[in-house]
Amino acid sequence: MFPFVLLAYVVAVKVFKKTTPNGKVTVYLGKRDFIDHLDHIDPIDGIIVVDNDYLKGRKIYGQVTTTYRYGREEDEVMGLKFSKEMILAKEQIVPPKEKSELTPIQEKLMKKLGPNAFPFTFHFPQNAPCSVTLQPGESDTGKPLGVEYCVKTFVAEGEDDRVHKRSSIALAIKKLQYAPPTRGIRLPSSLISKGFTFSQGKLNLEVTLDREIYYHGEKVGANVIITNNSRKSVRNIKVYVVQHCEVTMVNAQYSRHVAGMETREGCPITPGASFSKVFYLVPLASSNKDRYGIALDGYLKDDDVNLASSTLVADGKGPAESIGIVISYSVRVKLNCGTLGGELVTDVPFKLLHPAPGTAEREKANALKKMKSIERSRYESSRYATDDEDNIVFEDFARLRLNEPE
Amino acid sequence: MNSTTSLGGAPIALPYESYVVQLLGWNIPAEHIELVHPHWRGYETPSKFWHFGFAFMYFCIMVMSCLGNGIVLWIFGTTKSLRTPSNMFVVNQALLDMLMMIEMPLFVLNSLFYQRPIGWEVGCDIYALLGSVSGIGSAINNAAIAYDRYRTIAFPLDGRLQFGHAMAFILGTWVWAMPFSLLPLLRVWGRYVPEGFLTTCSFDYLTDDEDTRVFTASIFVWSYAFPLCLIIFFYCKLFNQVRFHEKMLKDQARKMNVKSLQTNQDAEQKSVEIRIAKVAFTIFFLFLCSWTPYATVAMIGAFGNRALLTPMSTMIPALTAKIVSCIDPWIYAINHPRFRGELLRRAPWFGVKEINPSDVGSVTTDRTTTTGTTESVSA
Repeated sequence: MFPFVLLAYVVAVKVFKKTTPNGKVTVYLGKRDFIDHLDHIDPIDGIIVVDNDYLKGRKIYGQVTTTYRYGREEDEVMGLKFSKEMILAKEQIVPPKEKSELTPIQEKLMKKLGPNAFPFTFHFPQNAPCSVTLQPGESDTGKPLGVEYCVKTFVAEGEDDRVHKRSSIALAIKKLQYAPPTRGIRLPSSLISKGFTFSQGKLNLEVTLDREIYYHGEKVGANVIITNNSRKSVRNIKVYVVQHCEVTMVNAQYSRHVAGMETREGCPITPGASFSKVFYLVPLASSNKDRYGIALDGYLKDDDVNLASSTLVADGKGPAESIGIVISYSVRVKLNCGTLGGELVTDVPFKLLHPAPGTAEREKANALKKMKSIERSRYESSRYATDDEDNIVFEDFARLRLNEPE
Repeated sequence: MNSTTSLGGAPIALPYESYVVQLLGWNIPAEHIELVHPHWRGYETPSKFWHFGFAFMYFCIMVMSCLGNGIVLWIFGTTKSLRTPSNMFVVNQALLDMLMMIEMPLFVLNSLFYQRPIGWEVGCDIYALLGSVSGIGSAINNAAIAYDRYRTIAFPLDGRLQFGHAMAFILGTWVWAMPFSLLPLLRVWGRYVPEGFLTTCSFDYLTDDEDTRVFTASIFVWSYAFPLCLIIFFYCKLFNQVRFHEKMLKDQARKMNVKSLQTNQDAEQKSVEIRIAKVAFTIFFLFLCSWTPYATVAMIGAFGNRALLTPMSTMIPALTAKIVSCIDPWIYAINHPRFRGELLRRAPWFGVKEINPSDVGSVTTDRTTTTGTTESVSA
């Protein structure tokens, strides 16, 4: 049994499926994460299978919705709702209105699932924001804040007809961005100096990062060079990774430290002295558990949580045009010059992303991941219905953790 | 008494001539006569049926207030998930209203059996103290609620008050109520006297000296004008924020080519702005209704034409202020969706119908494939 599962994992195509409560309609999706490549976004392609003679003249509609939640449910007062739902696409799936070209996964599934299978394809609007979840605080009970996407199908007589829960399906999906295939050679850096009132000379601080784009889980290296030409001395050095989160729906922004350290190494840096050191920090979601407001990539299961990826903007578009929740990162270095001297602070921006598929680094990460999933499959193998004919693995779609209390 | 004139030439004693007109304050003995301002002693005593009528109305208000505020305290007191900082203000409001409720049995006793304040000075002081603390407290608490709501709505991500802050604000409302309650009690500045039918007590706004006039003007600003200004200010700011958020969201929807769609569900739901404006206006209007009559009476007493202040015209404002204390819990708590849910669960017999929350959920907008349409996004 075990070697067989291992084999299936290596070559199989994984497909997610979900069935209506009454068991008559099933939706299959090839993936749950849809990637925004800046010039285009992966289409949402799937198959819907209906029981014979179930529809009796009724139709099946599908739609893609996005939900913005920008305030806690328990804080809603005066009849106001802190969430907005928008329908991004809506179409009749069964009976099909027009024949569209099938994607490879659709073709494969159509072949396998027989004559009652119907394909559907939706497209994200060009400016659609990425999925982001803001981590709820410890005492929060309601739905988490953020941007969510959902594919819904329902059976009805007409488009605006009443929708019954027993014949509807809602699948939570994510829209994500990956790093560009090459990481670039530009090293972000910042040079800043500070003069003091009533005393001559300046304190200089130079911070240079060892990359512009980091992948999740990598350590961020910041080379800090301090040259003290002033008459004050530096008492201590603080280095943080700061996550900046801009919630455009309410025009709010805030920053959170997601990693940090404080050191007195080399301190006090006396007048005339200089100091140079590389500090390493690893920004991780796991080290920020239960902290309210930390932005995470939209997640569906607890085991794939990571900090939100930096929001990328296509060339020729300003960041002002971004919508939803816009994430950026920086390394912040703070030099403390005592109560009278004040602080010298600088921020060096960088990007934190998932590697694009096919990147060399990706392979390494994958190897590790594969190990993990093999480990996991030992325990979970019973959950997958494997099929040795054309190697499709069906995984039950994670119950919609967020939208369906049932 | 000039009706005794020429009736068949001879002066005849008409039956009612023997009837001595009783003026207000007739039943107050000499040692307590200081309590009653001479102004009231110029009016006839009202019929006992007026007394009974008011006693009945106060009794009804008492029952309503007990029920409404009691339910609020019961549900909030026993449901842990409802104990959020914002809800503490609602609990405080219920407490203050309950405090006002305590004075009502006193009034009912006064009206039914004595037609004067029981306990003379002490009774009068207790009655007026309860009214003053709860009245001023609830006025400023209304303003605190307005501020809290403004924070919550304007900054939904990180605006809500911490528990400690909320508690400090609540303590603040009680402290705010103290100066103008304790000063008259201790006879330092102003004093408590009976008014109207001499069955209710409040601060003295009739004595004709500068002390009293400045006191009346101060309490007018402190407990009426200032809270009212705060309420207007915060609800206006809140309303502007809501409009701004709505506009931001519409802009973003437009950027994604999503246009508002008038579905049936949408048409039933009024726009968010209108809903918010309605709630805010209700609260503002209620505050206006409750305290404006009383403020007017006090200002007339101190600065205006006193002839307008008949016993009856001063009883009505006192009544309006009390009525609001039994409406408050309905406005603040029972409009609270999670409170309603809890109430429905605990006391289904209460007849509160919960609207299916998923239906009220969110304003649905739809995507259009036509770009550059001239059709404007509906507001």
